[in-house]
Amino acid sequence: MSHLISILVFSPLAGILALSLLSSKNERALKLAGLLGALLPMLIAVIAAASFERSASGIQLAEQVNWISYKMLKTGDAAYFSIRYEVGANGLSIVLMLLTAVISVLAAVGSWTVKRDWKSYFIFFLILELGMLGVFAAQNLFLFFIFFEITLIPMFFLIGRWGYADREKAAYSFLIYNGIGSAILLIVFVALFMRAGTLNYGELAKILSTNGYPGLGSTFRMSVLIALLVAFGIKLPIVPLHTWMLRVHVQAPPSIVMIHSGILLKIGAYGLFTFGIGFFPAEFKQLAVWIAVLGVINLLFGAFLAIVQTDLKKVLAYSSVSHMGIVLIGFAAMNEAGLKGAIFQLISHGLISALLFFLIGVLYERTGSSDLKDYSGLAGAMPVTAGVLLAGGLASLGLPGMSGFISEFLAFLGLFKVMPVIAAVGTLGIVLTAVYVLRAVLSVTFGPTRESYPVGRDMTAREKIPAFVLLGLVLVIGIYPGMLSEPLHTVLDTILLGLRG
Amino acid sequence: MQNAWLIPLLPLLSFILLLLFGKKLKEASAYAGIGATLLSLMLAAAVMLGQWGGESYKAEGVWLSIGKHAVTMGYEINPLNALMLVIVTLVSFLVHVYSKSYMRGDDRFHVFFAYLGLFTFAMLGLVLSPNLLQVYMFWELVGLGSFLLIGYYYFKPEAKAAAKKAFIMTRIGDVGLFIGIILLYWQAGSFEYDEIFKAIADGTISSDMITLIAILIFVGAVGKSGQLPLHTWLPDAMEGPTPVSALIHAATMVAAGVYLVAAMYPLFEASSAAMTTVAVVGGITAIFAASIGLMQKDIKRVLAYSTVSQLGYMMLALGSGGYTAGVFHLMTHAFFKALLFLAAGSVIHAVHTQNIEEMGGLWRKLKITAPLFLIGALSISGFPLFSGFFSKDEILMATYGDGRYGLFVLAVLAAFFTAFYMFRLFFMVFAGSPSQEHGKVGESDGPMILPMAVLGVLAVLAGYLNTPWFGTFLADYLSHGPVRFAAEGEHGPIWIPILATAVSLAGILLAYLMYGKKKLSRNWLSRSLPSLSTIVYRKYYVDEAYDATVVRGTTGFSCLWSYVDRYLVEGAVNGTVSLIQWLGKRGSYMYDGQVQRIGAVAVAGLVIILLFFAAAGGYFS
Repeated sequence: MSHLISILVFSPLAGILALSLLSSKNERALKLAGLLGALLPMLIAVIAAASFERSASGIQLAEQVNWISYKMLKTGDAAYFSIRYEVGANGLSIVLMLLTAVISVLAAVGSWTVKRDWKSYFIFFLILELGMLGVFAAQNLFLFFIFFEITLIPMFFLIGRWGYADREKAAYSFLIYNGIGSAILLIVFVALFMRAGTLNYGELAKILSTNGYPGLGSTFRMSVLIALLVAFGIKLPIVPLHTWMLRVHVQAPPSIVMIHSGILLKIGAYGLFTFGIGFFPAEFKQLAVWIAVLGVINLLFGAFLAIVQTDLKKVLAYSSVSHMGIVLIGFAAMNEAGLKGAIFQLISHGLISALLFFLIGVLYERTGSSDLKDYSGLAGAMPVTAGVLLAGGLASLGLPGMSGFISEFLAFLGLFKVMPVIAAVGTLGIVLTAVYVLRAVLSVTFGPTRESYPVGRDMTAREKIPAFVLLGLVLVIGIYPGMLSEPLHTVLDTILLGLRG
Repeated sequence: MQNAWLIPLLPLLSFILLLLFGKKLKEASAYAGIGATLLSLMLAAAVMLGQWGGESYKAEGVWLSIGKHAVTMGYEINPLNALMLVIVTLVSFLVHVYSKSYMRGDDRFHVFFAYLGLFTFAMLGLVLSPNLLQVYMFWELVGLGSFLLIGYYYFKPEAKAAAKKAFIMTRIGDVGLFIGIILLYWQAGSFEYDEIFKAIADGTISSDMITLIAILIFVGAVGKSGQLPLHTWLPDAMEGPTPVSALIHAATMVAAGVYLVAAMYPLFEASSAAMTTVAVVGGITAIFAASIGLMQKDIKRVLAYSTVSQLGYMMLALGSGGYTAGVFHLMTHAFFKALLFLAAGSVIHAVHTQNIEEMGGLWRKLKITAPLFLIGALSISGFPLFSGFFSKDEILMATYGDGRYGLFVLAVLAAFFTAFYMFRLFFMVFAGSPSQEHGKVGESDGPMILPMAVLGVLAVLAGYLNTPWFGTFLADYLSHGPVRFAAEGEHGPIWIPILATAVSLAGILLAYLMYGKKKLSRNWLSRSLPSLSTIVYRKYYVDEAYDATVVRGTTGFSCLWSYVDRYLVEGAVNGTVSLIQWLGKRGSYMYDGQVQRIGAVAVAGLVIILLFFAAAGGYFS
């Protein structure tokens, strides 16, 4: 049995321990400890990914320990209901864990701009990372739920204490919305446990694919799927459940938004994929048209609203809403191209939005504003920042050669096969995305250069590293997507097998 | 031929090099770009020579797999794209040389050459692509190059607006191409040209589907090639530096739409509705843009409208079945229009204005530029024995032979307009006396003259590649390609070239009388038709119409939803939050220490649970 995944998930604890030993006044040491604390999981994630067998299917690096078990009175026989501690990884979750670890390191670098309470900031930061890694590592619903909850608490404090002016309202709205989502998840998981007798992903999928299993009738399945759709729809978010995430995007510190937009939103899509499509393929197919419609609404609604925003952070927030529409579109296609597109979009958007929010942090640090009115002609004063911002914008609008294109193309390719009309409506989003991205980016970088600009204060070396790493990953995936698609292959094969069976 | 992949890679290398070290290289940056494009040009020439009677060549590797289907990327050499390779590398090389002098002293000199390298890479990648997905990717990247170079003077608000407009308008067309490619994939099961052509030949795709897909792909070509109704970005693109206008917005990228239709010709030929669409859009664009060109006052805008009009001609040719004629005109146009732009750049360089009303009498001052401009003007006007004469002649013959006489009349009229506006431009710039002082006006230096001279020679000679008199070399050459086309043109009625010549001479003569000799008043026509001339001068108010409908419509729609989001969705959310708060407050009242109340609530809760159990039959399973 390999402990690698457990070590990975709990490795942020080392950083937390180190931080707790340091004096809360020692800014440099705290920041460094925070960064090293995030580097350790990345190192382990790379090792885990390297030892991951790409072509093999199923759960790898699995670990299982008996944890809680009890007898149910009702069933009368000796069957034990047991909840095990079980973690592992498949092709999708290993990629997402790697993404989590990488973005956390870069966000830790982005956290250099944090002005106070570094100690508690980085402790919360690392707990958040632990939670995220656990969500992707968990192999049963109980653990998933626990790790999912672990992400909420540090996030609440990170927004509420280190955010911008209206941070507390944002933190509460984050908590209330996600709390509702969690409550729904809890009910769903309990119901599944009581009827199927297990919480393990693999066992659940097997039981749910057995026809006529007692207590798992079609009404029950459909209601569970719809409940999952709502719970993860809050996280993704699906319009009209999106307002909380707008607040978080605008109010949370940029380094936290890198994680929020880059990873946390993806948990919604991961849940929909693993539980929604994985457990209930037939029911998901019945809902596919509605999911496609919701996806197109997300895509267009986000894009139309991004066009008229005056704050750069809001443009990007609506842009996230719009881009998550692509994920739904890909899911709704329910074929290899569509699902692959959706998963590529998770990773691609994670990288791109992390990059763009990192840049917002860089800009805010120098100008104290993210209002588009306060910017003009940045290309003259800060050419490197302006260039990276333009590149990030182009990636966001799906320029070929960058990761966003692959996901957009595959998702639409998939949907056109099954619902050409809905897909055709959705392509309007391709134009609108170009409109809002160029409007926002050009009004920052082009135009006459402001005299008040900090000429000569372009990106520092420390700031360049995250920016270029993210941009490099975006380019590598865009130029050779085969690299990423290989580990995803076996996961998709399993899912597609479920679809056909 | 196995080394053809180097052709696009060299300019890419120059781009990367200049991006990394351009700041240190300063003016030496130009040599990286010039060297790379020169090498590419030599390789391209070798490839084209190999294609003369040779075999097509294709090399591919797996890029991404979708299910069992592997999507490949690679390159392909056939007569059509080998010709394009030479045109692109040649014009790009000449523009690089020219820019070395033209852009001297600019702060971001190295950035300019880096962008040129990026564009050249993308354009070469586009023509080498063996499949439509790869075409689409490079199609977007040439758009990026164009966008970056239009917006090169980023601090100018006009340049910013023009760059944005170019990107968005071409993207509208690109969505058509995007959908077309996807539909074609599900119909033919591949993005590859040859497999698509095979599926069409086998008749596995329904004819309605073919028409739909062909028109969608043509929408992409309309955007890129500035055809009606997506033409308005191209004249605005003149905000970019003039060498850019010559390379991208005259010779290469805007011809990509024409190239795409030519490359996908079997698809278009399989649907007569699609062919008619191409011909009609091209014909109307040709006359429409030519008429706008009659009235413009900015030297580059006249040339820009002329480009739109000439691209319309090429589309008209292809839509009328004149495959060779379309490709031939693409080539001759690349040479003479690049020449005209570079010469215009030389003029602007000398007098520091683009307004032709402020020019005049430059014939004596620009002793080399002026005759070269004249060669370009004669060529585009279809003056006998110049290259434009032969290619335009073939287009007229193809249109006539296709039996669309209405379009034929439009094409002849457009030829008259072309001759007139070109010589209006020529006489206003070079004839007469200077209308105002420009200080010391000097001829451009060697690096600027040389490329113009090369293009000047080509603007004359390129026509002899395909003539009814000396042989149809180009048609023979292209016939080795994957596209089968009917032999065309050379045996049309003899009165067509005579008519074309007469029309061209008439246009030149009228311009001479009005602007050269000044026998006729400059505004004799506009005075008699004031409202019409205002409409034409304002470019038929197309920009204004788009602004009033699409632009405002989108913004209005966005604002509407913004309100919905702010008040309705947010309102519902706030409602939920207050409800929860209210419940919380109610709940907290209960814990006021009164034991009776706590007991009452507990009993009530128990009763509810028991009732629930009773109703559910004891256990909720």
